[in-house]
Amino acid sequence: MSNKIYDFIVVGSGSGGGSLAYYLNKSGAKVLLLEAGKFYRKNTFPKTEAETSANLYWGGGIEFGKDGKMGFLRTRLVGGSSIVYQCLMDRFDDNAFDAWKDESGVDWFSNATMDAHYNQIERDMQLHTFTASERNRNANLFTEACDKLGYKWSDLRRGQSDCAHDRGNDCIGCLGGCFRDSKQSSLVAFVQKAEKEGLEIITDTEIHKVEPNSNTCKIHGIQNGQKVSFEGTKVILSGGAFGTTRMMSMSGFKSKLPALGKKFASHPQFMWLGFQNEPVDAHKLAFQTVASKDPNFRKEGFKLENVFAPPISIGMLMNVTGKKHQDYMKKYRYMQCIEVAVRDENVGEIQCDNNGKLTIIKPLTDQDKTRRDKGLAAIKNILQTAGANEVFESNFYFGLHLMGGCVMGTDSDKSVVNPEFNVHGEKTLYIADSSIYPNAPGINPGLTIKALSHRLSTQLLK
Amino acid sequence: MANHFSKRAIVGLKKVGDVYCPKNGEFPAYSEVAGIGYLDQLTIHVPPDDFTALNLALAIFSFFPKGIIEWLVLTFQKAANNPSEGILPSTYRQLNLGLRGLVFSTYYSELINPEYKGKTPLQIIDFQINRIED
Repeated sequence: MSNKIYDFIVVGSGSGGGSLAYYLNKSGAKVLLLEAGKFYRKNTFPKTEAETSANLYWGGGIEFGKDGKMGFLRTRLVGGSSIVYQCLMDRFDDNAFDAWKDESGVDWFSNATMDAHYNQIERDMQLHTFTASERNRNANLFTEACDKLGYKWSDLRRGQSDCAHDRGNDCIGCLGGCFRDSKQSSLVAFVQKAEKEGLEIITDTEIHKVEPNSNTCKIHGIQNGQKVSFEGTKVILSGGAFGTTRMMSMSGFKSKLPALGKKFASHPQFMWLGFQNEPVDAHKLAFQTVASKDPNFRKEGFKLENVFAPPISIGMLMNVTGKKHQDYMKKYRYMQCIEVAVRDENVGEIQCDNNGKLTIIKPLTDQDKTRRDKGLAAIKNILQTAGANEVFESNFYFGLHLMGGCVMGTDSDKSVVNPEFNVHGEKTLYIADSSIYPNAPGINPGLTIKALSHRLSTQLLK
Repeated sequence: MANHFSKRAIVGLKKVGDVYCPKNGEFPAYSEVAGIGYLDQLTIHVPPDDFTALNLALAIFSFFPKGIIEWLVLTFQKAANNPSEGILPSTYRQLNLGLRGLVFSTYYSELINPEYKGKTPLQIIDFQINRIED
């Protein structure tokens, strides 16, 4: 172990860690950003869907819950999941913060408190709200059918600078990393800027153990097969719901903090396809520009998004085989696609054995199923109203928004971090990522993860 | 250490792949077009225990006649609708998605057999994207 003691070590470079490292580094503090994955740039991201899955995701692609029903997607590279997500930047509503306050006992969860932090993040990212002229046919079919059915919808706000849609750029290609540095991932909006300002970044380093004491915190891991250790006055874990829970579990915190690994939620997502008589070309141009904004849907616990996916992923959605499957795939350009994301109950659990092997328990509760079914019924209405000659009702579902496992709260029997982001009882160890989410907000989590990191940065720099 | 499929496992994968993606009109059979040479690269981050199990399962499949493979694939497929959380249906569901992922990644993909000269599955479904990188 080197004798260097950093002011701050941030473990994980996704939405939470990347933005936190940026703000801490900006203050002139001695900051180290550690990342388990590799450092890809706009000109080195994989160019094919297959290589993206194989290289950017833990486990080489999709990971499964213990019952094999639900798939989970989590990345390992600088920028984390913000590299492959759509970078939709939504603030939480009062309903989401009230639910957090009720669950956690943390009284500062509110839009009034978070407003300043949202404002700062929004100033530091380039945001764009789509307009009618930017919608592709998949989006137009969605909005026209919603209007006929009386469902409310809205244009999405996305982190992007210049996607060159006017020159025919197809953004589905950026699901493996934006090759224009337009998408405002943690890499583009924060990490690369901090790197230019001197942030020390070490990649390919997987942390297995954290050892906090009264003055500093030591961390231990593996870098390219070699054991490595680092020490900081304060260490902040930002490895996401699975990664942070794993580091905490392998460090023996489960016996002290019984809530570790509990209250896992993931906004289970179900994508259905409608086949149109004319090409939809849902994969062309800006492929996700609108979503539902219906107060009834919000009340009922789901939202609809106008999405699509490249061929391998679409093939995975259709659980049929042989010629029937190929015949569906031949209609790829004719597919209209809508997804429902369920605001699920946080009854899941992330378990970790002594070797760091994760087991994910994620049942759908009766309430989750009711919300799913209402959302799928709305999707079917939209697809049929839009003129689909057939609806493919996929039974495959997956989680992209992995939340909980190290939730924030006032009671150390029911939570892992306190309202100051400190691991209960540990003055030198903090957590800043989606693992601290007390429950599922039903809203894209990315902006709020960053806003929470900004809040922590102001607190650490006092 | 990199994962490496055995020759037996490749024979099994081609048999399974031909059930998922048979010769069908314009579509070539999986075994004709599959990017076998890319498989090790595509599974480089699969956990060793999972890879060993997959390699073994595919090697065993190589000894089965087509009818048995078709029955197995259908059994895996049906497990997706089985509400049971028992170990067998759970394993079948994971095999269903794992095998489909492996097959589709080397079929509906740019990573196909470089010797294949016909129309590729991506060309057949007319998938094209524009990348404006400057």
